[in-house]
Amino acid sequence: MTDLMAITALGAVAPYEFQIGGLVIRENTELALASLSLGRGQGAPTILGTSMPDVGQWLAGPEVSAFWTAPNQWFIEGEGRAHEDFAAIVKAAAPDCAVTEQTDGWVAFDVYSNDGFKPLEGLLEKLVNIDLNGFGVGTALRTGLHHMSVYLIRRSDTHVTIMGMRTFAAALCHALESTAVRLR
Amino acid sequence: MLIPHPLLGLRDAQEFTYLGDASLLNRPDASSPDAAVAFFDYVYLRDNPAGVHRELWFHEQGDRSWLIVTRNTLTHEILNAELACESAVKSEVLA
Repeated sequence: MTDLMAITALGAVAPYEFQIGGLVIRENTELALASLSLGRGQGAPTILGTSMPDVGQWLAGPEVSAFWTAPNQWFIEGEGRAHEDFAAIVKAAAPDCAVTEQTDGWVAFDVYSNDGFKPLEGLLEKLVNIDLNGFGVGTALRTGLHHMSVYLIRRSDTHVTIMGMRTFAAALCHALESTAVRLR
Repeated sequence: MLIPHPLLGLRDAQEFTYLGDASLLNRPDASSPDAAVAFFDYVYLRDNPAGVHRELWFHEQGDRSWLIVTRNTLTHEILNAELACESAVKSEVLA
């Protein structure tokens, strides 16, 4: 049988990583994703101990985390579970909800600052047209970045995940890297 | 231009795409005897007011909801924004 090898969204063997100044940009290839939406009149479920967060919020739970994407719709995240059939796990936890697999549709870049929140917010100020005063820890939103649609999740003061469509992985990576270089 | 999204607060108008007059929500009854005339009117004829206008905007690079935005076409002032699904439910209740 042909010996197949898994590659990342950027076509590489190892996840992308780039460090400049106080910033580290690292591709997270192990993040599993599934979307969950409710039918009319349905109540929000609890998935593996994680309740569904309010509008514009992200919530970390014991096994999975979740963020709000639209009215009655969330993305469920499984850290380190990209190799599992994650949508089936979510569907089993919420059989009445509509669940779709999203893992292979997205690319996730974690941006860390090891010098406080300022380098991170400086990068975001250059990239996205959002009010950073309202982008505190636990906030998740979708916006445009270089004409691409991205999700931004503020996981901590010094850690933001930027999720873009997988087909745009190289363009998104280029935008992040070149902006970080220019800020230097 | 900023649009006051009812759920997400002020968001850049670049995140939205514009469809047109909010009267598009009132689709004519296809089974009525004057359906042909009503659909001609619905599809092709639009008012083009200079002043306050209710229009449909889609939050494409956001939560992908449809909004009814009330805008003054002379000043570009945004007077109100509401979720189109809630407005549609309200009109169902009234009808």
